[in-house]
Amino acid sequence: MSVPAVSSLRVGDEVTPLTRTVNQDQINAYAEASGDFNPIHVDADFARSVGLPGAIAHGLLSLGIVADALSRWAGSSEALRSLECRFSKPLVAGDSITVTGRVVDVNEQEGIATLQVEAMSSRGEHVLTNGRATVRLTQKR
Amino acid sequence: MPDQSNVGKRYSAPGQVVDAERSAKLAAAIAGRDGVAEPGVVPPTFAAVYTLAPTLAQMFGDPEVGVNLAGLIHGEQSFEWPVPVRPGDVVDSTAEIVSVEDKRGMTFVGLKVETVRPSDGAVVCRGRSLMIIRGGS
Repeated sequence: MSVPAVSSLRVGDEVTPLTRTVNQDQINAYAEASGDFNPIHVDADFARSVGLPGAIAHGLLSLGIVADALSRWAGSSEALRSLECRFSKPLVAGDSITVTGRVVDVNEQEGIATLQVEAMSSRGEHVLTNGRATVRLTQKR
Repeated sequence: MPDQSNVGKRYSAPGQVVDAERSAKLAAAIAGRDGVAEPGVVPPTFAAVYTLAPTLAQMFGDPEVGVNLAGLIHGEQSFEWPVPVRPGDVVDSTAEIVSVEDKRGMTFVGLKVETVRPSDGAVVCRGRSLMIIRGGS
């Protein structure tokens, strides 16, 4: 994997898409690592009792997958300078999430690219909206 | 329920250790079957553990704010990482309530968070969170 060089990146360039199926085991592992055991994430019956289609992934797990997609594309997670989103629709256990992104600005002086990022579920819903990231660009290494 | 009088409240969580084992577990949980791309590197959203969790837990437990946890939704999040954290770093995190708004029967609480590494004074993370609380008190 190589870091995109400042000189080679253009507005309109696309992030390598990443699709990941998130099953209950993965959500449980995230709950354990993050310490967030809210029952809507780990108890499907409880989640359904509050009107959700099933247990749902933590918003920050979805955002973590977005960060992972951008990091793999940029060559390192240390290239990621900022990331923001609105958590829009739940990612339900067993569903897939697909992360895409597009360069909307390149600031060669500061060595920073701004990207618009999206995350769609296999239900065809936007898991995140208003997704935006900035990535530090370096010379190819 | 939170109200205007809570704006300006600050929560402080000094001495958070960026634990290598826990960071690796979070990276593995994010990567799933794809496997971790960069073993030993702290995933950026580990800020959930060293910035958000220790400060927001204090707000959630603050009787003066009175968050109804059963109705809590994480609405929006932004993070900025001026410099990366490393496993073993010890960092100080703070959160401040910057806005409380009632809309459509829900309460929107805006927070500003920041994490500093005292060993070199670097800001390793700053961010904003929007928490939405459904349902009245």
